[in-house]
Amino acid sequence: GLILLFYLVFYGFLAALFTFTMWVMLQTLSSDIPKYRDRIASPGLMISPKPDTALEFYFNKSDSQSYAEYVSTLRQFLETYDDSKQAQNIDCTPGKVFDQNEEAVKKACRFNISELGQCSGKEDKTFGYSRGTPCVLVKMNRIIGLKPEGEPYIQCSPKEEGAVQINYFPHGGLIDLMYFPYYGKSLHAHYLQPLVAVQLAINSNSTKEEITIECKILGSPNLKNEDDRDKFLGRIAFKVQMTE
Amino acid sequence: IQDDHKLSTEELEEKYGTSISKGLSSARAAEILARDGPNSLTPPKATPEIVKFLKQMVGGFSILLWIGAAFSWISFGIQFAQGAESPFDNLYLGVVLALVVILTGIFAYYQEAKSTNIMASFSKMIPQQAVVIRDAEKKELSADHLVVGDIVEIKGGDRIPADIRLIFTQGCKVDNSSLTGESEPQSRSCDFTHENPLETRNIAFYSTTCVEGTATGIVINTGDRTIIGRIASLASGVGNEKTPIAIEIEHFVYLVAGVAISIGVLFFIISVSMRYKFLDSIIFLIGIIVANVPEGLLATVTVSLSLTAKRMAKKNCLVKNLEAVETLGSTSIICSDKTGTLTQNRMTVAHLWFDDQIYSADTSEDQTTQPFDQTSKTWAALSKIVTLCNRAEFRPGQESLPIMKRVVAGDASETALLKFAEVVLGDVMDIRARNKKVAEIPFNSTNKFQLSIHETDDPNDQRFLLVMKGAPERILERCSTIMINGKEEPLDSEKAEAFQTAYMELGGMGERVLGFCHLYLPENEFPDTYSFDTDSMNFPTSNLCFVGLLSMIDPPRSTVPDAVSKCRSAGIKVIMVTGDHPITAKAIAKSVGIISATSETVEDMAKRLNLPVERVDRRQATAAVVNGMELKDMSLEQLDEILCNHSEIVFARTSPQQKLIIVEGCQRQGAVVAVTGDGVNDSPALKKADIGIAMGIAGSDAAKNAADMVLLDDNFASIVTGVEEGRLIFDNLKKTIAYTLTKNIAELCPFLIYIIASIPMPIGTITILFIDLGTDIIPSVALAYEKAESDIMNRRPRNKKKDRLVNEQLAVYSYLHIGIMQSVGAFVTYFTVYAEQGFLPSTLLGVRVNWESNAINDFEDSYGQEWTKYQRMYLQWTGYTAFFVSITIQQVADLIIRKTRRNSIFQQETCNLSFWFSCRNKVIWVGIFSQIGIALILTYGLGHVTALNFTPLRFQYWFVAVPFAILIWVYDEVRKLFIRRYPGSWWDKNMYY
Repeated sequence: GLILLFYLVFYGFLAALFTFTMWVMLQTLSSDIPKYRDRIASPGLMISPKPDTALEFYFNKSDSQSYAEYVSTLRQFLETYDDSKQAQNIDCTPGKVFDQNEEAVKKACRFNISELGQCSGKEDKTFGYSRGTPCVLVKMNRIIGLKPEGEPYIQCSPKEEGAVQINYFPHGGLIDLMYFPYYGKSLHAHYLQPLVAVQLAINSNSTKEEITIECKILGSPNLKNEDDRDKFLGRIAFKVQMTE
Repeated sequence: IQDDHKLSTEELEEKYGTSISKGLSSARAAEILARDGPNSLTPPKATPEIVKFLKQMVGGFSILLWIGAAFSWISFGIQFAQGAESPFDNLYLGVVLALVVILTGIFAYYQEAKSTNIMASFSKMIPQQAVVIRDAEKKELSADHLVVGDIVEIKGGDRIPADIRLIFTQGCKVDNSSLTGESEPQSRSCDFTHENPLETRNIAFYSTTCVEGTATGIVINTGDRTIIGRIASLASGVGNEKTPIAIEIEHFVYLVAGVAISIGVLFFIISVSMRYKFLDSIIFLIGIIVANVPEGLLATVTVSLSLTAKRMAKKNCLVKNLEAVETLGSTSIICSDKTGTLTQNRMTVAHLWFDDQIYSADTSEDQTTQPFDQTSKTWAALSKIVTLCNRAEFRPGQESLPIMKRVVAGDASETALLKFAEVVLGDVMDIRARNKKVAEIPFNSTNKFQLSIHETDDPNDQRFLLVMKGAPERILERCSTIMINGKEEPLDSEKAEAFQTAYMELGGMGERVLGFCHLYLPENEFPDTYSFDTDSMNFPTSNLCFVGLLSMIDPPRSTVPDAVSKCRSAGIKVIMVTGDHPITAKAIAKSVGIISATSETVEDMAKRLNLPVERVDRRQATAAVVNGMELKDMSLEQLDEILCNHSEIVFARTSPQQKLIIVEGCQRQGAVVAVTGDGVNDSPALKKADIGIAMGIAGSDAAKNAADMVLLDDNFASIVTGVEEGRLIFDNLKKTIAYTLTKNIAELCPFLIYIIASIPMPIGTITILFIDLGTDIIPSVALAYEKAESDIMNRRPRNKKKDRLVNEQLAVYSYLHIGIMQSVGAFVTYFTVYAEQGFLPSTLLGVRVNWESNAINDFEDSYGQEWTKYQRMYLQWTGYTAFFVSITIQQVADLIIRKTRRNSIFQQETCNLSFWFSCRNKVIWVGIFSQIGIALILTYGLGHVTALNFTPLRFQYWFVAVPFAILIWVYDEVRKLFIRRYPGSWWDKNMYY
């Protein structure tokens, strides 16, 4: 009896102490930006759609079922970029970092979905999959306060040379500086990160082959893309195999 | 049983195919040697080294770790076959686990081998030589090559090389003490005197020594077939008991393994039912096992024990078997030899009687003067007899040594008298030279006296002086006068009565009494040209003048009474087991306190109450002196009754074989028994005892082999220091184990919470190994240097069954109190690190699957930032490091609180404000600094080696757990305070470990 009471009190005390110290610790944190960002100094790259099976696209261009999932993922992903959702976003000055440190409410720059051209899903509802020119969206991970230097752009290249022609939307795979910096979820609620669509036109003699495509972010000295250990830091590799 | 002692010489020659004059032929001897083997005792079968090594590899926790390693490899195999991305992690983990087992195994093996090596030096025997007649020639050959039928010659000082039937003797005496425990030399002749071969005079036994005289005999038994060989092989039949500490450690291993396995299996079931993948569940299981097993602990225990062993070796206790270190501490009965262990093993003059008065002499080890009254003229006469009527001489070249340490040629009594005279009178040899000896009759057993005639050193006195010493009653018979205050007075009945009283009194003290008398031969009858003939005795040997008595005893060592009283206050019963006469044994027992001043034996009570012995209430007698003869006829129940009812027991006239019976009797009472011994046939008792203690100086090799410990100075007091060390190490091992077990909870909780709450892994398996085998090792050894908290020699020996090394309180307090506090502190640090990097605690719950997915490289944190897998892993390792650092910091607090179990650490340190750096156990500081130093090196030095999963950590994270460390310390101080304040209370019962 006494033992139970003792442990009840003892663990009650420890739980309260734990809660209290955690509360104190959380009080020291800002709700806007994390205290340290040194563990993510440079952003990673990621693509959409993201297949379950480790970044490998397998589809048959004549079988709509085989790519239905990719298409619906893309559609879903682009929903947040829909014009109707961007009503409050402003048009920013292209090519310039959009500093708004002084403003209490941070504004988000409009990302016009039409910039994605054939990969916007407006003209081709299957994002090119049905025609053998699949679209993959490349995005750069959001990092608070990150201001890329230079003129960053995405460049992709197939490992197997000449297996595929690549088109970039916007042109040249440019990532506009006006989308930076990011001010964090709570301050920058409507922020949309810039996208680069990569359209792969697979050569007819390379169908049925597995093509590895590596995309990198280039043109910016402060965005790393060749880390030994982190294969996704400023770069991404994925495989595509298309059948007919 | 052979009947060689009954056969005649001729029959023997025939039986063994030998000839007394010519001996065996070399060819025949070689044949027999080939048949019987060498004449040496087969050493006890040693365990092969490889078996010892393998035992270390599977003992203790090793099995659990092997299972962990096996699971790691199995899951590696499965993952590899499935083509998973990073299967090698598990391969490495398995290899690391295997390495841990192998390295700790090698370490333990090395430690054990080291302590065995110390002993190896003892068993190097100098090959013994024997003089043999072979091919009708006298030859000297190694005793190993003796065969049955060989004719050997022995002289005084030799060790008997085999069992020998004597066929020719001249004044031969043997010391059978290694066989029978009888310390008096026994004479040997060619006559068949007793049916029992052990009692008859015409057989000399292997390993006994010939004290004086010469003899020739036929070898009748060699090697293991000798009497001693048979006893020695009996010893190897007596099983080695498990040491108490081995039992305790086994108990502890079972306990921890039980906890590890049950938590492991429980969480395996939980994780399987929570739909974790089977393989993941197995990996969790490995983690739980690794977290639960204190990998470094057994090595630490070994080191602590060997440190104590070293300390004991400095105090003359050489420990053969490391575990025996603690056994001594839990000893509740010591069965001690008398001669050499309790006593100085040399006859010393203890009392004198002259002028109708008894004087006491100094019997300490390093006497330089004698304090008794030396003014009487009687003393001058007595001292002259003592000096002159003595054949013993100092070996030359020892002038620089203290008198008591010089080596003397002569028997024990004469040696005692010589040294006594040298101390009192100065240069004895010079006095003898000035009083030239003209005739002498040495002591023999029929005369029972020794006589010599001298010229005197007084140039004016031309008389010869006849001096005589011997058995008091025989000397008195030859006297008609007695010297009182330098004057000769007639020996009337009154004076004879006084002599009787003194003689009885001295004899009653267990002392060997000698009488001394002299006579100045009249000058007219014995001119200085007179030729004395000792055969016809052409001089008077009666009507002499009685001068005095001297009594001798082998006195107790001066440190022994104190040691015995220490044993008494430590609750250890000291039982004397000796081959000596009961009266001597009792006298020594009384003088060292084994029988205390106030207690009485049944016989004493009978004498005091004037009742026959049978009518005395035995229960009222606290002391008992048991004769070996009585013991022989006793049933086990009767022996148990004696051991149970009497607190002070002396066994006298016991044979070494009876020692075994006594030891077994004590063990039946549930006691932990320490036994001392030196003879070959003490070895069964030494082996049977919980701790056998062999004498380093007097001990035989067989005894040293059978013993667990060797007493280098043969001194009983050294046993007591050993007991103290043994008790201290038991207490300190408790502290070490409590310290080590605590952090196991802080290592285990992360796994459990990881499984249940699916948070990112807080600590890695490799990191755990770095705590167990890195930061924690030196501190836990440092606890072995802790001083005793209170007088450990003032409490009773621990109860084998109740006072466990790891008791419930220790486990509960370590696991459920301090361990949980440590976990809380470490988790606060963990959550702080994640929160400050952007993952608030609420975000972490349930993220495990996505967090660990290789495909997700845009994992969103609480602030909307996105993380690649590697960035998350790096953060996870930072979490490991933070968790590791927190445990280390809190282990510093744990180390400090473990210094004491009851006292406040301020009490322990006796230096209050100057607590820092100036305290008694400085090694603790080494422990703390090493702990923090290793943590710093791992974090900042090896922070870039990915495989180790350490990352450089922000400095402030070292301090997150500090409040919890302080809390641990305060909590423990409060615990100790209540324990001291309310002894016996609920708190005391539950919180004192």
